[in-house]
Amino acid sequence: MSISEEAYRVMEDIVGAGYISSDAVDMEAYRGGVEGYGASMGFAKVMSRLPAAVIMPKTTEEVQKIVRVCNLFKIPFIPVSTMFWLAQSVPHVEGSLLIDLKRMDKLEIDEEHMYALVESGVIYSQLQEQAMRRGLYTTVPGGGSQVSVIANMLDCGFSPLNFRNGFPSRRLLGIEWVLPDGEILRTGSLAFSDDPFWGEGPGPELRGILRGNAPGWNGSFGICTQMAIKLSPFQPEKLEPSGISPHTTLQLPPKRMRWINFTLPDREALINAMYKIGEAEVSAAMTKVPIFFRVVAKSESKEDFWELWRKESEESLAKFHVLRVLLIGYTSEEQLDYEERVLMDIMGELGGEPRRTKPTDESWFKNADSAGMWLMAGGYISVEYCLETIESAAQQGEDYATLKKQYTPPLMADYGDPGWFQSIEIGHGGYFEFLIFYDPREDTNRVDHFYLETAKLNIKKGHWTSFCGSSQPIRLIGPAYGPNFHLWMMKVKETFDVNSLSNPPVPYEHDVFIDRAEWMHPLEDWKDPIKDWKDPNME
Amino acid sequence: MKEEKIKLNVTEIENFYYDITRCIRCKGCKWVDHIYMPGVKFSTRCPSEKRYLFDSYSAYGRLKLAQAVIEGRLDFSEKMLDAIYKCQLCGACDVGCKRNLDLEIELPLEALRIRAVESGKGPMPQHKQIAGNIEETHNRFDAPHGNRQKWLPADVKPARKADIVYFVGCSASYAHPEIAEATARILNAAKSDFMLLGSEEWCCGYPLYITGQIEAAKKNAQHNTEAIRKSGAGVVLVSCAEGYRMLKVNYPKMFNKSTTEMGFKVVHLTEYVDELVKKGTLKFTKKMDLRVTYHDACNLSRLSEPWIYWEGTRGEWGVTNPPMPRRRGTNGIYQQPRDIIKSIPGLELVEMVRFRENAWCCGAGGGVKEAFPDFALWTASERLEEVKETGAEIIVTGCPWCKDNFNDAVKKDDINLKVYDFSELILQAISL
Repeated sequence: MSISEEAYRVMEDIVGAGYISSDAVDMEAYRGGVEGYGASMGFAKVMSRLPAAVIMPKTTEEVQKIVRVCNLFKIPFIPVSTMFWLAQSVPHVEGSLLIDLKRMDKLEIDEEHMYALVESGVIYSQLQEQAMRRGLYTTVPGGGSQVSVIANMLDCGFSPLNFRNGFPSRRLLGIEWVLPDGEILRTGSLAFSDDPFWGEGPGPELRGILRGNAPGWNGSFGICTQMAIKLSPFQPEKLEPSGISPHTTLQLPPKRMRWINFTLPDREALINAMYKIGEAEVSAAMTKVPIFFRVVAKSESKEDFWELWRKESEESLAKFHVLRVLLIGYTSEEQLDYEERVLMDIMGELGGEPRRTKPTDESWFKNADSAGMWLMAGGYISVEYCLETIESAAQQGEDYATLKKQYTPPLMADYGDPGWFQSIEIGHGGYFEFLIFYDPREDTNRVDHFYLETAKLNIKKGHWTSFCGSSQPIRLIGPAYGPNFHLWMMKVKETFDVNSLSNPPVPYEHDVFIDRAEWMHPLEDWKDPIKDWKDPNME
Repeated sequence: MKEEKIKLNVTEIENFYYDITRCIRCKGCKWVDHIYMPGVKFSTRCPSEKRYLFDSYSAYGRLKLAQAVIEGRLDFSEKMLDAIYKCQLCGACDVGCKRNLDLEIELPLEALRIRAVESGKGPMPQHKQIAGNIEETHNRFDAPHGNRQKWLPADVKPARKADIVYFVGCSASYAHPEIAEATARILNAAKSDFMLLGSEEWCCGYPLYITGQIEAAKKNAQHNTEAIRKSGAGVVLVSCAEGYRMLKVNYPKMFNKSTTEMGFKVVHLTEYVDELVKKGTLKFTKKMDLRVTYHDACNLSRLSEPWIYWEGTRGEWGVTNPPMPRRRGTNGIYQQPRDIIKSIPGLELVEMVRFRENAWCCGAGGGVKEAFPDFALWTASERLEEVKETGAEIIVTGCPWCKDNFNDAVKKDDINLKVYDFSELILQAISL
């Protein structure tokens, strides 16, 4: 299905001929399916569609006009900025317009009021560099520093640094939003001034509606074109880049910043340490190190990884309780010294032993190289990320690890590793992410099964789920966690997107996938509470 | 998983199907290494992606196009050729990917052009014209072959027999005799005897290889290799980055050999001079009170690591057996030119934002200057914007094609900047 010539011409007038294309070669370059996050999994294979056209607006006004044209001509559209989450960044219905926001790359920092104003094409490492030059910083998320700040802030945005600077959603200030019908909505202080310094109001708080739940609306609620983000004060010394690719790193100023890895005697000691460090209100970040991460970090190549990985075992994993703690002397060198002494006292009590740790950061400040997660097996996806207590984060991982054994292979054997968890918001919460690895060249149907079964496990055991808006079938999750939040989501969506054009069929896309994927049908044992709902754009 | 046999051989693009289909769009091929990320300005490394914006003009998009060709969904239409040839094949994407995913990127892009030529559709008409020139006159300019050694000054006498043979290249032989002359005088000053291949030197084959015309490139490679062997030289000294990479990397690649099996060592002038300076054989006596920036020519830097031929299998989890050697750009010629600059009295080296493996290409390579001169010039102008921020009075590079393209951009943009080939800078510094 193509976009009518008339509609195409109108859009060409909006952006100029060089910024729109429907050429088959250009479209092929946007093909989804076998690559990226969740590569070759059923969702990507079944749901991905080539766009009918790609357009690249430069301004909010152009975005607004394009969305209005889409409504006039009933063209489904999907906004993208970096397309890192490829399965969610390609159209899911035929005849879609892909709105690539990469040209919108404005980045301004208000140093005095400690916030950044970014457009959709700005990525984290750009923001982080500019922030650090002004003595400020933000959180570079696990997804990587190459992801769009706006897309990620709307989606998840978590990193170990959230220990200190909190939930990403709490750092959203003024937002500019082109709604699915083309209306522009400005929230917070942007609603009545040019300064986006404040996030709330006027009137009812809209940021929750606009964001949706983690992982957000995935482009099904219009297009966020500008966002102001609160920055946090950083320590004053420069993190010096060094090395030649691929061995590049940031040298940490030794008197101001220090990662320390501790080996703890057991799981309980590790969790206790996380709680106690939070209670003492010291450190800037902490994360439990999955053994997989460690072996990845030690490997020079895929082959090297497998040689090392095969030397690990359930026994070695059972003894591997490593907590990685970051200290920052935000206010002074003395702060770091004090926090280190407190930390050592806590570790002393719990039997934690410091390990030799490099005085560098390769990951969390400017890189967050999640890309390395794909290197070893070829296929990777996180089947859940949870925001609960530290204890429940650990428990959920252990439950997943038990379930996973039934699906290994095709999943990569990992000796029962319960995943990655960290402390957030000064120990008041735990963040858990369960990463699975597989070879996309193998039959991935059982990978799809495991993915779905984790949602059922969450329901059965009362675990938290972040996948309330998308990433799992809403017909399954809604009644279990609602009892009717899914109906509310659909009503909100229908109210704002009357023509159902903004990235359909999100937030219903996993339901559609399961309807379409025969190998998923035997697992579809839930009652369909909104069976009659049909997306008008689905063929 | 059944094991598949693969080779590091660009004549069959299917060898790289795994790499082509394992891209995750982390865009390591697009962005400057995040550790060195300077902010929004100068934050990308791929000229083609920045100029043309659509994914089909990026490494991650071109891999999709390669996949579509292998799977029979696309053929080499005019638009397809436009997408695959508007690229300098500068290797920035390859190095960036290997920071993250360790996939082969440069090789499948080379293989895609070879497939385009095999299909009868590629390369671009201008590339075919150059191939004709090389066939006729053994140089890309269609200049008389007999003039190849016309640059040689009367007072410089090459040796009849020496361990070093200076492979002059088309640019220095015909277009930039000052480079050839400077190189020869530097060797004289260092009392390093050298031979010339004379009429036995043919075009190195870069304009053929890089546009996918591999059979013609191989013919030149065979001829030059034979000539070098006949000369008995153990060292081939090159002052041109394109020639350097051809002789060191692409000749063995085309012959399914490793660099170490070629029977001679290939050395760039900057490597050679750096060694002489460090040994004390060559001294810089002239003070040059100048602020200089150094441009890492792609073929001398990230693309110049020795070639290691490999064939084996890829099995479970994509693991190769024996382990496939990776060329990640780590060991390119980066430090030697910088050390030379630093050892010249009075010279102040100021780095550009994107330097070493993250350097922005000058724009001339990959057949772009010939087929898409506007794009080549645009790319050079982008680089000169970076130069401006350094406050440098001189930009120096180890490649005559970079020099040409920068000079064209300097003229177009009316910038007060001198462009030097490294040989010229060294010659001035030894103050003959």
